[in-house]
Amino acid sequence: MLKSAVVWILFAVLLLLLPQLADSVFAISIYNQMAISIVFALSYNMLLGQGGMLSFGHAVYFGLGGFLAVHALRLIEYETLYFSITFIPLIGGLFGLLAALFIGSFSTRKAGTVFAMISLGVGELIAASSLILVSFFGGEAGISGDRTFGPPLFGADFAQDLEVYYLAAFWTFLCVLFMYLFTKTPAGRLANAVRDNPERAEFIGYSARKVRFISFCAAGFFAGVAGGLFAINYEIITEENLNAATSGRVLLMAYIGGLGFFIGPIIGAIVLTLINSVLSNYTDLWMLYLGLMFVLTVMFLPRGLTGFMMMHRMAWHLGKLRLLLLPYTITAIPGSLLFLSLVAMIEMSHTNNSEFIFLGMGFDPAGWTSWLSLLVVAAIAFMALRLSLPGLKKAWAEANSQETEH
Amino acid sequence: MAILSLRNVSKNFGITQIIRGVSLDIEQGEKHAIIGPNGAGKSTLFHLISGRYELTSGEIFFKDSPIHNKPPYEIARLGLARSFQVTNIFPMMSVFENIRCSLLWAMGYRYSFWHMVNRERRLTEKTEQTLDQIGLHDKRNFPAGELAYAEQRALELGVAIASGAEMILLDEPVAGMSMTEARNAVALIRKITEGKTLIMVEHDMNIVFDLADRISVLVYGEIIATDVPERIRSNARVQEAYLGEVTSDA
Repeated sequence: MLKSAVVWILFAVLLLLLPQLADSVFAISIYNQMAISIVFALSYNMLLGQGGMLSFGHAVYFGLGGFLAVHALRLIEYETLYFSITFIPLIGGLFGLLAALFIGSFSTRKAGTVFAMISLGVGELIAASSLILVSFFGGEAGISGDRTFGPPLFGADFAQDLEVYYLAAFWTFLCVLFMYLFTKTPAGRLANAVRDNPERAEFIGYSARKVRFISFCAAGFFAGVAGGLFAINYEIITEENLNAATSGRVLLMAYIGGLGFFIGPIIGAIVLTLINSVLSNYTDLWMLYLGLMFVLTVMFLPRGLTGFMMMHRMAWHLGKLRLLLLPYTITAIPGSLLFLSLVAMIEMSHTNNSEFIFLGMGFDPAGWTSWLSLLVVAAIAFMALRLSLPGLKKAWAEANSQETEH
Repeated sequence: MAILSLRNVSKNFGITQIIRGVSLDIEQGEKHAIIGPNGAGKSTLFHLISGRYELTSGEIFFKDSPIHNKPPYEIARLGLARSFQVTNIFPMMSVFENIRCSLLWAMGYRYSFWHMVNRERRLTEKTEQTLDQIGLHDKRNFPAGELAYAEQRALELGVAIASGAEMILLDEPVAGMSMTEARNAVALIRKITEGKTLIMVEHDMNIVFDLADRISVLVYGEIIATDVPERIRSNARVQEAYLGEVTSDA
């Protein structure tokens, strides 16, 4: 009890102190994106990780919440409504909830393929109609607002990104807290039970459909809050924010972070936001790397990045984590060499310049020597990587065995 | 007074008749065993009573209210719990969590999203009690899917009885167990079904004759006899249809 309170206080302090660490415009904008993504990814995990519902259309609730939030911003701007924009995310959430109440009433009947297909269909339907119903969705240009109207809160008129950050941090803290608490309620516990075994859940008195429906509505609400935060941060929302690409991205975040852990989607959201905003400054091909990362995660780390970290719990408790340090380093050297040489070749095939600079080295995309040398490096690194694996396996077994070392 | 009564219950799958007009009254507090050769429809009968299948015709009453063709959760809420022949638990959840979830409805939490389960003292106490009863206290934090077979069967029983249902249906509770495990399981069943009504499907005749007050013999979807164990043993039709096979096998 006390321990968890400490974790929450630390989380709050971290949110408050983040702008002290780096307060450039770029850093603040990344923080804001992270906050939005964290709420969105956690809401997605209420479906997939906790409830066993694979959704391909979760952006619908994010987007609809965002659209209503921008409309609310406009109403404040035209003085039809008069309240602080601090409450805009709540409006987004309520609209997300409303949409989820309606769509969930038929889509949660079954989990599995049926649910996935309905979510895909509804997602496409809403995305397509958003381009047609211009008065609400604004067509391809979307709709935009201005967050600086309305009564200021503690003197903040939200003209600065930093003020938006504190607003986003406040809502993120609340949402993360309530989503966590939800997992501790009967409805949240039963969501796990229905995920594991919907049939048996019915024989202990629960309608699997109703349990799914409750999780679905909660997920819709929090996705809507995230949409509302997005609307405040960017002051514009378009069809892109509720289409399949956005639905896919939130799936990637939750999956890469780790579906089986509450903190998993948070880590996924942070990592993907960094890839999205930092990596995209360096290469046009960042989407390719993101895709590769997803495939590799599915293949080698089915429990995500968090699952990978949690694998070390045993060795940690046994105090044998240091046994892994050297083997990890030995594997990491050829591993990163292989990675870098592959990246160099991918980037070189993509460049239009006659000279290609990578890590300070010049390559000639037209000549065969650059290609050949990179191929040789990659091949050697690959062989070395394979040779290093048995040693790593052995060290792993040793670090996780109960026996004391000699 | 009959707590459960089946009236002319039938079930067809396509054109195949699996259950052909079964009528049966189970008395309050009785331990009733259903035996019969493979494919006689014993599990199907359980699925009909517990709501997993819909009836083709007939009626089932539990405590005088009709339960035929109701969804499983409504039947469970009335106080009729069951276990499964193939272990059917929540594999990714801990043993503790399995039992706690099985208690939630009976303790009135319904679909609440405002109670914190960790803080409900009575809920935790009852979960602990059930864990003690089924002897899985040491394994409480293990994922259910990682338990040994006999332990999973014990948990399967625990999930069925946790809610404190008045009537319990057990589908082959000791199938696949070693002699010792089966003996322990029978002792466990005797202990946890004390004062309750029990219907069980079981192949092991020693257990059936040991545990049951009355036995029904189901052959090709029909009950050919319902009686106390001694008279079932001496019933000519039963010997011909069922017990004869067993003795000649043994």
